[in-house]
Amino acid sequence: MKGRGGKLILFLGWCVISLFTLFPIYWMFLISTKTRVELFSMPSFLPGKFHWDNYINVLTDSAFQGYMLNSVIVATSNALLVTVLALLATYALSRFKLAGKDNIFFWLITNRMAPAAVFLLPLFLLFTKVFVLGGISLFDTRTGLILLYCVFNLPFAIWLLQGIMDGIPVELDEAAMIDGASTFQVLTKIILPLAKPGLAVTAILTWVFAWNEYLFAATLTSVEARTITTGLAEFVTVTGTNWGELAAVAMLTLLPAVLFLGLVQRNIVAGLTFGAVKE
Amino acid sequence: MQQLTPRPRRGFLPIRTNAFDRGFIGVVLLVAIHLFWLRFLEAYLPLWCATVLSLVIGVIVVRKG
Amino acid sequence: MRSSTIGWLFLAPTLLILLVFGMLPFVYVLVIGFTDWNAFAAVATPHFNGVENYRRLVFDDQVLTALWLTLRFTIFAVVSELILGYFLAQLFMRDFPLKGLFRTLHTLPLMVAPIAVGATWRLLTVPGLGPLSYYLERWAGIEYRLNTYASQAFFTTVLMDLWHWTPLVTLTLLAGLSALPKDPFEQAQIDGANRFQIFWHITLPMLRPVILTTVFIRAMDALRTVDEVWMLTGGGPGAATRYIGLHIWRVVFPKTDYGYGAAMSLLTLYLTIVLCWLLYVALVARKRSGEDSR
Repeated sequence: MKGRGGKLILFLGWCVISLFTLFPIYWMFLISTKTRVELFSMPSFLPGKFHWDNYINVLTDSAFQGYMLNSVIVATSNALLVTVLALLATYALSRFKLAGKDNIFFWLITNRMAPAAVFLLPLFLLFTKVFVLGGISLFDTRTGLILLYCVFNLPFAIWLLQGIMDGIPVELDEAAMIDGASTFQVLTKIILPLAKPGLAVTAILTWVFAWNEYLFAATLTSVEARTITTGLAEFVTVTGTNWGELAAVAMLTLLPAVLFLGLVQRNIVAGLTFGAVKE
Repeated sequence: MQQLTPRPRRGFLPIRTNAFDRGFIGVVLLVAIHLFWLRFLEAYLPLWCATVLSLVIGVIVVRKG
Repeated sequence: MRSSTIGWLFLAPTLLILLVFGMLPFVYVLVIGFTDWNAFAAVATPHFNGVENYRRLVFDDQVLTALWLTLRFTIFAVVSELILGYFLAQLFMRDFPLKGLFRTLHTLPLMVAPIAVGATWRLLTVPGLGPLSYYLERWAGIEYRLNTYASQAFFTTVLMDLWHWTPLVTLTLLAGLSALPKDPFEQAQIDGANRFQIFWHITLPMLRPVILTTVFIRAMDALRTVDEVWMLTGGGPGAATRYIGLHIWRVVFPKTDYGYGAAMSLLTLYLTIVLCWLLYVALVARKRSGEDSR
């Protein structure tokens, strides 16, 4: 497989493989642009006339607008919270002598491994019956979801930032300390600018993970704090026949993933494998 | 208390273990024995037999494993 | 070094959140797993009932079936992903035009929300609408009905998992392959080894740690698959694709049998940890026995 011919065959082979990767999403896009009548005629793989009615119906639906808004608020707040907390935590772990810090790091990371379904029941009970303050419970609140998503996003963010933090030379902040800078100043004036690219990747990936989450959102919310993923699932059970709108919602759900793909694709594998695999 | 030092060592188990590993194996076996007992043996012998058995095995694993 | 008080202060919010939302639920489920607590029962408060929940659990055929199905799904998915992923990683090891673009495209499924993956595959397989059902019926004469045939539903969930997660396996194996030293391969070629011999005696042993790590991560994820399958088949037909996470979620919650549900969750966690630990031992055992022989 050397030389030009080999390269061409490989190139064509990858075109076919990418077709398999992209086809399901392309198909969904096609369905989202068809009217009800066109749907059940013979499947056609070519785009016909684009009808944007499905998108317009969905986007003007007030319930769905609420879902989108919730998702944006939850994902953004969670990403900001996680990034700030992870920055502080990794700074502490990397610069201070703390008793048992390797064990703490390991424990933080294992939080991510827990199967979500196992914790649904205790979390549901805690949210509805235990975390109650003066008649207000965490159940069906955006705050509840924002805090809960930290459980799987914080370990990930800490792992990702730990490598970056360890890469910033300690001499830099020691020199600043000698010049009389406070810990807070070191963090904002020295660490923050140097860690900026890493922080951006962390924020984007945690944002996407929070946006994608379904199981907790479906179990721990009922009306007020429903997110876009739960909205998507409701389509199947409630109006199982309206495939066009279902496809439109699914397209909107996976849109952020597609938009951010180019920015973070180098980090996602390392992120998903917890640095066990470095690229 | 030589056996309970956290330093890894070789016992009858096929891998090197430290005290924590052996404690973990003991707990895993305890749960497994109880579940097995509930399913297959409780009709013939009461459950406390499983508790005694798994505690004995647990001690052996922690001290000799 | 500086005063550790400030360090602990920085770490405190993270530890607090993970303790409250990570550890507390675990302790809580551990406690209510040993109680009888049903919201609709005459006494709607938890009271201790020993191992009664577990006695019920080990005879609950639905749960045992769900566990067995989950294991089967995991094995099928992970093994086929490994084979396909290795093949694709080898293809990525060579040079060809637009490699970076193909790589990025290949990463796309990893970022898509699992629930959207389920929706996508549902649209591919709905009878009368999806091309998969249409062409299988037309060209191969296979009646393709996910809500009728159990094995079709099962293998479609595996196929969906393959589409979603093979890229991860490809990229981890690619990282492993790129890190391998060149010398042993050149030496083997000089010695006249054929392709299969090189793969079996050189590539595979050297790639072993990466393969095991990949299996470990993939198995953990496959064992807890819920969203996609719920969206694609809803656990059906019957209970043919109702994997354990789905079972806990869909069957236990509506019945509000909290004590029993907690016991079921704990059993799942126990089995996951044991499996996880066995894989981990397999992962490090080689390394440690290597140290022994030195």
